Amino acid sequence: MKPLLPSTRREFLRLGAKGVGLLAFSRFAPQFLVQSTLAAPRPEKDRRILVLVQLAGGNDGLNTVVPFDDPAYHSLRPTLALKEKDVLRLDDHLGLHPSLAAFHAMMQEGRLGIVQNVGYPNPNRSHFRSTEIWETASASDESLSSGWIGRYLDNACAGPDLAAGARSQDPEAIHINAEVPQSFGGALPHNTYGLTLGARAGRAGRDEVALLERIASRPSATLAAHASHESESANHAFLRATLMDSLVAERNIQRIIDQNRPEAAYPGGNFAQSLRNIAGLIAAGLSTRVYFVSLGGFDTHANQLNNHANLLRQLSEGLAAFQKDLTARGLDEQVLTMTFSEFGRRPNENESAGTDHGTAAPLFVMGKRIHGALHGTAPGLQLERNADIAFSTDFRSVYATVLDRWLETPADEILGARHERLGFLG
Amino acid sequence: MSLPLLDPREAWKPLPASAWNADLARHLLRRAGWAARPEDVARAVQQGLPATLARLFPATPPPLDRPVFLARAEERIIELQGSRRSATTPEDRQAIDREMRELNRLAAAEFAFRWLQTAADPARSAYEKWVFFLSDVYVVAIDKVYRAENIYRHFDTLRVHGAGPAPALAKAVSRSPAMIDYLDLNRSSRRAPNENFARELFELFVLGEGNYTEDDIKQAARAFTGYRHNPRDGFRLVERETDRGEKIIFGRRGPFTGDQVIDLAFEQPAAATFLPREMARFYLTDSPPPADYFAPLGEAWRVSGYNLRELCLRFFGSLAFYHPAWRASFIKSPVHYYLGLVQDLGLDVIPLERSTLQPLRQMGQQMFQPPNVRGWVGGRLWINSSTLAARRQLAQTLCSPFDEQRLNADEKLDLEAARDAGRRRFTVDEERITAFTALGPQGIADRLCDFFLPGRVDDGYRAALVDYLSSARDAAAFEDRARRATIAVLQSPEYQLC
Repeated sequence: MKPLLPSTRREFLRLGAKGVGLLAFSRFAPQFLVQSTLAAPRPEKDRRILVLVQLAGGNDGLNTVVPFDDPAYHSLRPTLALKEKDVLRLDDHLGLHPSLAAFHAMMQEGRLGIVQNVGYPNPNRSHFRSTEIWETASASDESLSSGWIGRYLDNACAGPDLAAGARSQDPEAIHINAEVPQSFGGALPHNTYGLTLGARAGRAGRDEVALLERIASRPSATLAAHASHESESANHAFLRATLMDSLVAERNIQRIIDQNRPEAAYPGGNFAQSLRNIAGLIAAGLSTRVYFVSLGGFDTHANQLNNHANLLRQLSEGLAAFQKDLTARGLDEQVLTMTFSEFGRRPNENESAGTDHGTAAPLFVMGKRIHGALHGTAPGLQLERNADIAFSTDFRSVYATVLDRWLETPADEILGARHERLGFLG
Repeated sequence: MSLPLLDPREAWKPLPASAWNADLARHLLRRAGWAARPEDVARAVQQGLPATLARLFPATPPPLDRPVFLARAEERIIELQGSRRSATTPEDRQAIDREMRELNRLAAAEFAFRWLQTAADPARSAYEKWVFFLSDVYVVAIDKVYRAENIYRHFDTLRVHGAGPAPALAKAVSRSPAMIDYLDLNRSSRRAPNENFARELFELFVLGEGNYTEDDIKQAARAFTGYRHNPRDGFRLVERETDRGEKIIFGRRGPFTGDQVIDLAFEQPAAATFLPREMARFYLTDSPPPADYFAPLGEAWRVSGYNLRELCLRFFGSLAFYHPAWRASFIKSPVHYYLGLVQDLGLDVIPLERSTLQPLRQMGQQMFQPPNVRGWVGGRLWINSSTLAARRQLAQTLCSPFDEQRLNADEKLDLEAARDAGRRRFTVDEERITAFTALGPQGIADRLCDFFLPGRVDDGYRAALVDYLSSARDAAAFEDRARRATIAVLQSPEYQLC
């Protein structure tokens, strides 16, 4: 069966003459129709995009940005400490893990910054809870049901964009893993999209997808005429619109990924391939503002050295290829990438040549507009036995900076409090 | 487009026997349970509404026996806790912690399968859904409760007390180990009362916001001190941690105990309408009318001694429950969508995490893990492209031959055990599709629409199906299309509603 839903506005306008009848969808009109009947989207150049990279499991900050000349570091980690000769020097005290050569080069070029020792007061050491704190941008003793990106989308939805018809059928945010990240949850429903799942469903049953499209897009005039007391409910209209949006997005995204021609060589592995897909989607001009990708395995309780080295290599080589690709395609002005992890790890190593759950850790920000290499202060390591480091930069300051200086949105409103802005975006 | 609601004085009167018909029976079965199988609809119509409700909500609810593995895991965990205390090296402790984590994870999964399988039994659906509703009021979450055994016991408490007086349920919940850990009663003592439980008792369990003062919470917290539990004795009150002093709560003065505070809360007028309105939010509509609307129902409930079974019989038997505005308009939760599929397709729950619990998580509902103490938000927030994709994937999986090649050895054993227990219909098999094709295109379309979809779908919907089915080239293609048409119907927006 040939797909029924138009996947572009031009296609819709062509089909429109045949009276697909979709416009009867009251207040839940699918986005691509809303757009087609209103003004054109804003020009490409205005579009600033945020790519969030989750290092799931809790990245070991001290072996990422290494205080190589601190004797305390070496005594805390008899087997895990990295030696001065191996690290990639940033200054006389700090160096990057040897797997981060690609990051080191980007720092020389001024495309990568480090925010040091990021955390929050009263740290929680549960993966689940601490991830929730980071994703909802809550304090450690409060529970929020919406995520910081979700609240950003709520805000963007209520703003002048909608009135100007600037929204389109494209997802507002895309995540590259099966579950919707908690960050994306808003007070309003949002058009978010999960890449792996969608791509798979699209391949598996094109035939029933076409039938589903036909069911979802049948003229609702018939429905209205037929309905006696069972009139189409608002939830019904909402479901139809959401399904149509996601079918259209699914097909568009699949096509974009199939046709994606990167202009940089990506390393192998799922993480780098996900970044390659994201670059393709950005290059295709989707109006999506936020992408979320996760690299797992950072919960290095045992035999950390090799595992951590591999993870950091995947991270830095993947992101370096991504940045190179964006630059070659002239998109690097538009994209800011930042990493986060639910916590750092314990400064002292454990008995299994690994590290246990800790507190604060550095995070990376990457993009053409990055100013300055090192931000914040390095953690102090004069600690009691088995104690954790104390954070010096609140993660919500990083968010506030990104929301305010990059996404140009009222950060304090979204975060529910005023947080200090950092200097990494000039 | 929204229809005017009934006058509240009329709304909660019983539906007249003359009005009872198959359409209303389907509405009842889909909302009080998960699906409306034709045989259950016929039985409900024939029995009449009061007898049907008396059957759906039994006075003595059947138990859900402690799952075998969970019981064994609990014994082993108690053993491990003993050896953890005497462990000398951090490595030993880590190994013990790892084993305990794994045991809890497996035991929680086993209980989830057991509960889903029980709830999928049409004879038990309505009451188990009611238990699930109560667990969405008296919320606990496994990441904080940690012990699968205590989650099982919490559900058991809700099941045992769910057909009796509400104050007795609230008192039992205050002694539930899961609740004691979840809302920090275990840390609340005479010297340092913790307000978490007292606050949620008033705000989320019994009265609702605006019906108590901060002082009431502070005083009530003092009454809930010394509540402790351990695996051997279960609940116990530790006298030296308990505040026996005088408190002033809701303007009353006395050396109240926790149980007395619960009685005081149920004496507040707001108690009569709070739970009925929560029921409306769970069973009927995303935006229930204000509390006043439920006053006549609440008053009858109060007079019954806050009997929960009475409340169910009145609520599901009322004119309001069958009002057209509240039909075929409510978005199914992921658990509802999943169990609806299981019942509509006549399947058994697949006892594998990847086939059952993982799809639920991807659809946005992780078992025993509501997002916070308010429970699931639900409604339109269940739906976005990702969760719809997960729903579509699930419908497709359950309607396709079960691929056992990819399973690991443990999973194969779990399947074997389920088969030995007589549960073997994991997905829709070839024979049933072949039998289905005998109906022909129009017959298949009618059956899919009439059996699976709430309300009456329009001709355009049916026509799309008939067109698709009748354009098959040959018998094999027709069979393939019968399967795909079934999948598309189960993926369609209409099937997401009830």
